[in-house]
Amino acid sequence: MSHDTHSGHHVNYLMIFFVLCGCTALSVLFDVLSFSKPVTMVLVLAVACAKALCVMMFFMHLKFEGNWKYVLLAPTTILAIGLPIALFPDIGSSYYINAAPQVGVWADEVAEYEKHHAESANAEQHGEAAGEVENPTETVTSEEK
Amino acid sequence: MSHSAKAPALRMGIPIPNSKLGMWLFLGTEIMFFTAFIGSYIVLRLGSNGWPTRYEDTHINVLLGGVNTFVLIVSSYCVVVAHEAMAQKNFTRARRFLSVTLLLAVLFLGIKGLEYKGKIDNDILPGRIPETSSQAVSKVADQLQELVRERFAVYTNEPGALIKVDRPEDILAIAPLVQALPDTERPADLTNAEFAGYTSSAKADYALYEKWDNLQKHIVANVSLSWPALPLEYMEKRATLKDGEKPPELTLDEVKVYLTDMKKSGPQAALVSARVFDPHPIVYGNIFASSYFIMTGFHAIHVIVGMILFAAVLKQGSSLNEKWTDFVENSGLYWHFVDLVWIFLFPMLYII
Repeated sequence: MSHDTHSGHHVNYLMIFFVLCGCTALSVLFDVLSFSKPVTMVLVLAVACAKALCVMMFFMHLKFEGNWKYVLLAPTTILAIGLPIALFPDIGSSYYINAAPQVGVWADEVAEYEKHHAESANAEQHGEAAGEVENPTETVTSEEK
Repeated sequence: MSHSAKAPALRMGIPIPNSKLGMWLFLGTEIMFFTAFIGSYIVLRLGSNGWPTRYEDTHINVLLGGVNTFVLIVSSYCVVVAHEAMAQKNFTRARRFLSVTLLLAVLFLGIKGLEYKGKIDNDILPGRIPETSSQAVSKVADQLQELVRERFAVYTNEPGALIKVDRPEDILAIAPLVQALPDTERPADLTNAEFAGYTSSAKADYALYEKWDNLQKHIVANVSLSWPALPLEYMEKRATLKDGEKPPELTLDEVKVYLTDMKKSGPQAALVSARVFDPHPIVYGNIFASSYFIMTGFHAIHVIVGMILFAAVLKQGSSLNEKWTDFVENSGLYWHFVDLVWIFLFPMLYII
């Protein structure tokens, strides 16, 4: 009964297997060729998606299943994609200082962090053109202090 | 709205076995389970200013990862062939292919274990990776302290302890006793040769303690190793500084040299070489290690569960029959999902 749904379809599993092996070799090749980081990222993730599609469509027989597959898989896929998107504003775009998770002496860590930030702030100031517009909110805060 | 008594029964629900529907629903939750980890990993990585990718930092071997990918693909192929054989009632063939799958799963875990060992041996573990120079220096001192503690335990361990102390963890208090050990009288229950062994190792262990103690004091004072760290001498030297001058700070480079010297010629050089890692700060190393272990660890647990499912089928031996066809199909679906997760983990952890 379980194979009623796809009994009419014959899949050449061996061919799918060779395609998957070829894709794996391709991923390793992209690593060896050492393109720039974003290019490698796009290429290997594209290969991964192709492999995932092969496995889902043929090995998991989704190609031959009825429309229930959409009802079952669409909500979880939407939620799964939603999670990283929901996390991104908090973590993906602004992150912790790397000194924070492993603290030896807190004061030292803060000093190191501030020193680093003072350096980068100085560098930015030197880099920017003169006549910089002052941030009004910042002025108010410093006056209040 | 007249219903005849012979109206055809309504076909309700989805035209697949309940067990298969259950498996697909379970896989739906599994997709979200793994996306929680994979999605967090992507977000954390994009949000970090750096990420360890060099082999020396991560001990990630693309070749081993590639072999493991191949192993899982072969096993997925075997499962699908086994299911086909079950549908054709060729149970011997099904068993043969399921056995190969089981063996490949063992191989996968073996290779994974090898990778884990490389990481454990090099202390690439969450919470144990120094991310800044000061953390790297502290880690050297911590590891030396651990070594000293371990060596001192040789003399304080009951029964028949050479040094009797109330608090064996207090190495500062034990150190003078270890130093004085060569001058003490030989206990009656030890032969001359045995006691000579203890006295010579006590000298080496005390020297090791002094090295650790010296480094620790410099860390506390945050002063260069070229300076004295003992309070009196430190204050005297400080008094010689001109106005506005500061004592030089302890740097990672000097600690590296200090440790290299200990590994070359110091007492217990072999022990220090084997147990104390060269200081090596890895920015964002801990979050990398956490992500790596949580993703590959949960994947490995899924592999083990898959092995249990296949073992249950193989346990039937020659009495395997068509009643198991759905079971094999469902375990196959599960196994393909495990393969699917690895298909994404491999490029994300090993290549990018």
